[in-house]
Amino acid sequence: MRNTASRVRLAAVAAAAGIAVLAGCSSSDKPDSSSAAASCEPAKGKVTLQYWNTVPGMDQVVALWNKKNPDIQVQTKNISNDQYGTISNALKAGKAPDLAQVGYDELPNLRTQNAFVDASACKEATAAKSKFVPWTWSQTSFAGTGVFALPQDTGPMALYVRSDLFKQHGLAIPKTWDEYAAEAKKLHAADPKLTMTFFDPNNAEWFNGLLWQNSAEMYSYSGGKWHVTVDSAQSRQVADYWQKMIDDKLVRTDLANGSTQMYAAYQQNQIASYVGAAWGYSMFRDNLPKQSGKWAIVPMPTWGTSAASGDWGGSTVAFMKGSKHLYESVKFNTWLNTDPEALALENKLGGLYSASPVGTGLPQLAQGVPYYAGQKIFDVFAESSKNIDTSFTWGPTQKTVNLSLQDAMAKAAAGKGTLADALKTAQSTALSSMKDLAIPAQAGK
Amino acid sequence: MTDTDARVIRGVAASKGARRRLNGGGPRAGVITAFLTPFFLPFVLFYLVPVGYAIWQSFRVVRRTGGQYGTSYTTFGGFEQYGHVFENTEFWSSIGRIGLFGIVQVPVMLFVALIMALLLDTPLLKLKSFFRIAVFMPYAVPGVIAAIMWSYLYSPQLSPVVDLLQGLGLHPDFLGPGAVLWSAANISTWLWTGYNMLIMYSALQSVPQELYEAAKLDGASNWAIAWRIKVPMIAPSIVLTTVFSIIGTLQLYAEPAVLRQISSNISSTYTPNMLAYAVASGNNYQQAAAISVVIALITFVLSFGFMRLTSKRAGL
Repeated sequence: MRNTASRVRLAAVAAAAGIAVLAGCSSSDKPDSSSAAASCEPAKGKVTLQYWNTVPGMDQVVALWNKKNPDIQVQTKNISNDQYGTISNALKAGKAPDLAQVGYDELPNLRTQNAFVDASACKEATAAKSKFVPWTWSQTSFAGTGVFALPQDTGPMALYVRSDLFKQHGLAIPKTWDEYAAEAKKLHAADPKLTMTFFDPNNAEWFNGLLWQNSAEMYSYSGGKWHVTVDSAQSRQVADYWQKMIDDKLVRTDLANGSTQMYAAYQQNQIASYVGAAWGYSMFRDNLPKQSGKWAIVPMPTWGTSAASGDWGGSTVAFMKGSKHLYESVKFNTWLNTDPEALALENKLGGLYSASPVGTGLPQLAQGVPYYAGQKIFDVFAESSKNIDTSFTWGPTQKTVNLSLQDAMAKAAAGKGTLADALKTAQSTALSSMKDLAIPAQAGK
Repeated sequence: MTDTDARVIRGVAASKGARRRLNGGGPRAGVITAFLTPFFLPFVLFYLVPVGYAIWQSFRVVRRTGGQYGTSYTTFGGFEQYGHVFENTEFWSSIGRIGLFGIVQVPVMLFVALIMALLLDTPLLKLKSFFRIAVFMPYAVPGVIAAIMWSYLYSPQLSPVVDLLQGLGLHPDFLGPGAVLWSAANISTWLWTGYNMLIMYSALQSVPQELYEAAKLDGASNWAIAWRIKVPMIAPSIVLTTVFSIIGTLQLYAEPAVLRQISSNISSTYTPNMLAYAVASGNNYQQAAAISVVIALITFVLSFGFMRLTSKRAGL
């Protein structure tokens, strides 16, 4: 008798667990139909929005908004720790915020997960188009299919140069990548302890910026399929160039961008330049205070005669699925990314280089920067921003491709394979990862 | 001696006996159930449900309604995800990598732990509690913190150890392609030796003192007592620590994940758990679930296989 009773109890427990499991996943069983453009009705009464981000000091920007807009209150949450894991899990649980910070390269991935709501029903959202740098708008609207996010900041690339080391060894500021390699050779020959720069094998985002500069169109969509050209003539030109730099020992491969080790190497005057983005200006200023006055920022070397630049990083503020207050979200998002007062604060507190010409045209950015010997460095980034290829598209499984590219880049840096092999690996990962997520894809155009 | 041995093993496998007794019931069964509820409720919520959910997810696949960013949904896919796992060369090379790691690291760690436990158990050693705490201390450091600490000691730009060795004309590359696996193994060993030592030491404490006295009367040296009496007596605890270590090895994540920040010689798929994490971060939750289930099965087979193998050897 007792025996049976405890068995029944066990069965009940198992059944409860089973029900919990079923309840937990039934939500993802059927395709949901919320992809149609949402309506844009103002709410009656007071509204509270949730906004998740990773920008330092954003709470102060939001406090400014909250003071001015008692009816649309915004609550922020910092998700710097595992940004996309937090967003994806919240989406799965149906608890996504109204607005969330999403990097450009992560937008298509979240789009294939139905993470966003189309805000194009709101006039203010579509009208914002003219207020942003064209390529950023094209990425947030998915080439005009809707308005899923508003651009926030960008990372136009440039070359950071240690002027004193350049002068000491009689180096010229390189205009092309060939000149850059030649100067690197000269520098390394003059002093074997000095290298021109480092190649971070663990940084696909940076490498993608270099590919972007050479107009390597890695993904496109037509005829109901994604076309994968990660391994193309343009991308291979970049890969072969850096492979040669690695083979000739003209670059170091043992440093990770932003690591303590990297700063230590710069601190010890071992490296003479840095291929970086606009947001990097504060990194050097804050981490290498002793080198004040020794740095200058010049345009990124080019592949030919015409000016071209790449972008590394930058983010958008996306309209997340499930938001009940689209009208208010658009109002706040537009203010956050186009209002001069908000943009000035974001630049000062968060080091953001705005995706809006209003933000990059702020008077504070027209000043010379003391750390860079008084150089008006933002003029260089503004010029760089103008030269970014607007047609560049990220793939829908970019994160997986980046991880695979990094692993293969590291192998190349360790002498097992080449960067050209890394592109091949990334190409096949792009195809297989899309297949895994049922996204139709084919190799080549 | 075999009697005592069996008693200790029965102690280790106490849960088995407890279940039998519970089923055997009697009027106290209701009371026992009441006492066990606080255990079973969290056990079901935080163990059985997530495991069940992972198994469920591992049998599902993503489908899509079409279009450039078409709507996705999941549906039953049979063993499709498991097929992907078995075809995945990255998965098998990560298993091979930690296999090599475990074959070297586990015996080294347990041998050191055993020596330390035996040393602590000799009457010769002074300051016993100090040494016990000192060896156990690293276990109190969270794994991630330990890995960060060691990564500074390995890093050529920052490490005083590397500086010192370079001063002696040596040029170690702790983060190089050949060495980084062993640098990670060193962190694990540092972290877990004290924990394993403590389990063995407690087993030593429960050995009846009369055995030693009898051996001494028979003229056995301290050495002979250690190897001929103490080690066989605590064999069950050595088996137990080995099983824990096998499980720990297959779960390896924190140490390589932290070293990955400073070494490009650790890929995102370096260990099976890192692979599962990488796949999940690419939003392929179903395949990540299948990978996790396969890791769990391999862990189960290896640890129970080891237990069976050793208990047969011991003639039990």
